[in-house]
Amino acid sequence: MKAHTLKQHVGSLSLAAGMAMTSFVAAEQLDVEKSELKFGFIKLTDCAPIVIAKEKGFFEDEGLQVDVVAQPNWKTLLDNVISGDLDGAHMLSGQPLAATIGFGTKAHIITAFTMDLNGNGITVSNNIWEQMQANDEKLDSDTPPHPITADSLKPIVEEKLEDGEKLQMGMVFPTSTHNYELRYWLAAAGINPGMYTKSDVGGRTDAQVELSVTPPPMMPATLESGNIQGYCVGEPWNQQAVSKGIGVPVTTNYDIWKNNPEKVFGVSKSWADENPQTYLAVTKALIRAGKWLDAADESGKLVNREEAARILSRSDYVGADYDVIKNSMTGYFYFQKTDKREMPEFNVFFKDHATYPWYSDGIWFLTQMRRWGQISEPKSKDWYYETAKSVYKPEVYLAAAKLLLEDGHVEKAEIPWDADGFKAPTKDFIDGVEYNGKEPIKYLNSHTIGNKDPEA
Amino acid sequence: MKLLKQLKYSLLKVIDLSGLTFLAPIVRLCYGEEPKVQLQKIGQWILVPIAGVCAFLFLWHITSGSIQTKSGTLPNPVETWQGYNAIDTQAEREGLKKTSYELVGEERDQMLADAEDRLAEVKVQVAETNAAVTAAKEAVDAQTKELIAPLDKEYKELKSQYKAASKARKAVLVTDADSLKAGNVAEYNAYYEKVEESVVKTAQEKEELSILKKKIDKIREIKSPEVAKALLEQTFAAEEAQYLSKQIELLSDRNRAVQVETATGMISTYNEEFLSLTGKAAYDKARSIAKAKERLSKMESSSYAQPATIWYQVKRSIFCVFTGFIIGTAIAVPIGILCGLNSTFMAAMTPFIAIFKPVSPIVWLPIALIIVSGLIPDPDNNPLMLFLWDLPLIGEYKINPAFIASAVTVALCSLWATLANTALGVASIDKDHMNVARVLKLGFFARLFKIVIPSALPLIFAGLRISLGVGWMVLIAAELLSSSEGIGKFVWDQFNNGASDSLAKMMVVVFLVGIIGLILDRIMIVFQRMVTFEGSVSV
Repeated sequence: MKAHTLKQHVGSLSLAAGMAMTSFVAAEQLDVEKSELKFGFIKLTDCAPIVIAKEKGFFEDEGLQVDVVAQPNWKTLLDNVISGDLDGAHMLSGQPLAATIGFGTKAHIITAFTMDLNGNGITVSNNIWEQMQANDEKLDSDTPPHPITADSLKPIVEEKLEDGEKLQMGMVFPTSTHNYELRYWLAAAGINPGMYTKSDVGGRTDAQVELSVTPPPMMPATLESGNIQGYCVGEPWNQQAVSKGIGVPVTTNYDIWKNNPEKVFGVSKSWADENPQTYLAVTKALIRAGKWLDAADESGKLVNREEAARILSRSDYVGADYDVIKNSMTGYFYFQKTDKREMPEFNVFFKDHATYPWYSDGIWFLTQMRRWGQISEPKSKDWYYETAKSVYKPEVYLAAAKLLLEDGHVEKAEIPWDADGFKAPTKDFIDGVEYNGKEPIKYLNSHTIGNKDPEA
Repeated sequence: MKLLKQLKYSLLKVIDLSGLTFLAPIVRLCYGEEPKVQLQKIGQWILVPIAGVCAFLFLWHITSGSIQTKSGTLPNPVETWQGYNAIDTQAEREGLKKTSYELVGEERDQMLADAEDRLAEVKVQVAETNAAVTAAKEAVDAQTKELIAPLDKEYKELKSQYKAASKARKAVLVTDADSLKAGNVAEYNAYYEKVEESVVKTAQEKEELSILKKKIDKIREIKSPEVAKALLEQTFAAEEAQYLSKQIELLSDRNRAVQVETATGMISTYNEEFLSLTGKAAYDKARSIAKAKERLSKMESSSYAQPATIWYQVKRSIFCVFTGFIIGTAIAVPIGILCGLNSTFMAAMTPFIAIFKPVSPIVWLPIALIIVSGLIPDPDNNPLMLFLWDLPLIGEYKINPAFIASAVTVALCSLWATLANTALGVASIDKDHMNVARVLKLGFFARLFKIVIPSALPLIFAGLRISLGVGWMVLIAAELLSSSEGIGKFVWDQFNNGASDSLAKMMVVVFLVGIIGLILDRIMIVFQRMVTFEGSVSV
């Protein structure tokens, strides 16, 4: 009994010490306009920054009480952000851009935070995989060489076309990274994934492979039922296919475009205008969450990822088995049960200035929308710049980062203070085509399949 | 003695009213009334159903193991019960987190100490279970390797053998082709047959190989129960550890009272500093104090952002079904009465009833959702929404457009039974009653409330009972689509999770929905019996 009271005393002593520390933090809190918030997410591992900011108390440090609610699909999520039912959400990079330019639902959505890089995979059914192996002997191994291109898929597509059938593949949303990546991967091998036109909003005009929308968590079930023969989706739904033995991930988007931007944290412009301090506070918490997720020891081992995987496996978050989520989160990826590879950069949440909202990332998505006809008219170079600037808000990001720097939560080198918003040109694509965000039209014209525009 | 007898009759009356007639023989038996007959009845209405349930559980237990899905076997009753426990534990933990956030004083210290003690224990478990998982996985891996090794060897050998054979055949055939003499049909035919034979042979070999490969894959896919068990235990421990460390945080640094105390302390320091300042510095300090005070008042009233737990979802679903049910009744009963009173009106309504009645909730919901969210574009600033959120009791269920759309869907799908029964009830009122009304020269409303409605009530309630049953079924589907917080959303989330225990959790919902539906039905039966009287129109 006595020991117990003693322990309590010690407990309250340490509490007092804690208070002294928190009082410092409290002094730095912003005057948020709204302290009880509701954020939406889709059950994918890359919702991690939002979940971690809540569970590790980064939101609470900013004086925010945040409720994090799973959404059934991307359309509902966007509608809920627009209607104000959600204050903000985990969004596909293309979503704020498409909403702002009015492809699909029109509403001005902005983002000041890129949630992660990479993290998607393309999975095909076992049957297609066997045929791909038959077409390319190199693939007929337990550990085939990567990256795997769609070259070995092409004969299968052509054979199907001769039988009057089209290969069916799934992606998660018309303006999702997955749609563009799957199209990129197919087109790089000379397969036409179909064009969007004014009258064809399904994007199947001239298609050799037909793509259709399926919500991420439904992908494995849809593949299993035979309605589609392959899909492009975020984690854990590729690893799920491996663990259930229903499909084989052939490539990841890390191989299609190394360190490509994936999800962003989107809010409606009107919300941000009404709650500028809250937006700043939220961005601060998210940057800290990103940093926590990418924290590594000297040997480069990601130290917090197992804990993150455990949190994400809770049924009100991603909910898949811990064992499945852990694979990609801790830097491994199973291409087959026999083919486990180390992919330390499968999910990048912070390093290499990943969380900064780069204009050049936005412009890449806009070029893809134009390439596949979602933007039906040719646009000028300035239009690309203007649109990216109206959606991506590095000024908010930098303001939040500055406050974090003052609090000592980030280091100076971790934030690109003087960036002009454009990443250096890169050739890290599966087909080696160079992308320079400053020259969107030139980039558009460098592809074989897809719309081309006159350079103004 | 008389009192006892009276008790018996009132008990029997209650039993009769509530429809729990299987209890009647027990009461009668207690009073020694025809024990033989009563025992027989007890056997039939209590023991037989219990035996039925047991038989069902037994059959379920033994068959579930053989129904193999890609997500594992169908959960048996034990696993379903574990699923229930997991759901309930999660709900309980969320509740405790909220309490922890709000707890103050000694109680908080006590709870903190308990949580820390428990965490120390759990941490040991975590380490143990981690080791167990690694061991189990290694054992299974070794076993799988052993099983696969000979098959794999065979596969590789056969593969290279067939590959060589097919290559050799090809080489022979190509050389043979050199000696073909143009124009010699017989020779060409013979050659063609050889090629065809070789193609068929290659296909056969391929088939053989793929069968072997499938065998290997099948071994790889076998889910070891030991590993599953170890993983389950690991998850138990790790989740508890995680919950406890969060709870400890909420009891210490992040506790509301602690934060308020800190902020209060800060304001008083500011105040002291303020008193010695002048000029701009004084203004700044005063401003900081004002802001800090504002933040303090917000903090004092803040509540822990608690995710929806299963019990909250159940309550919200029940609330939603009744909202829809009341809307439906408010439409169905008046129209039904008019239809029953006036055959011309009935004729005018028939086409609408006939067309709308079979429409599925899946069709109504998106339409309702679009219309409702169109009417309430900005729920956060909508006066009606704000009014509803501030109401006592209802407020905590946060009525939003998705909720209203679900309720409207329930109303649209469930009102038909009430409408038809009301019309029937009103139309079949004894003509004598109406004649009496005419003789007495009762006005329309007097006739309506004194004669029409009372005599149609039993049938109206029979209709309401069906409506509520239909509404409950429809609601789950509506919630699933609208993602309005409720049981339907819970099922959908579980389906989307696709974890190893998701199926078990969905099975739990089957029983949950069934039991709640049963209770709702019982409630309606009681109402129905209460309004039924001798000589009224009966079902």
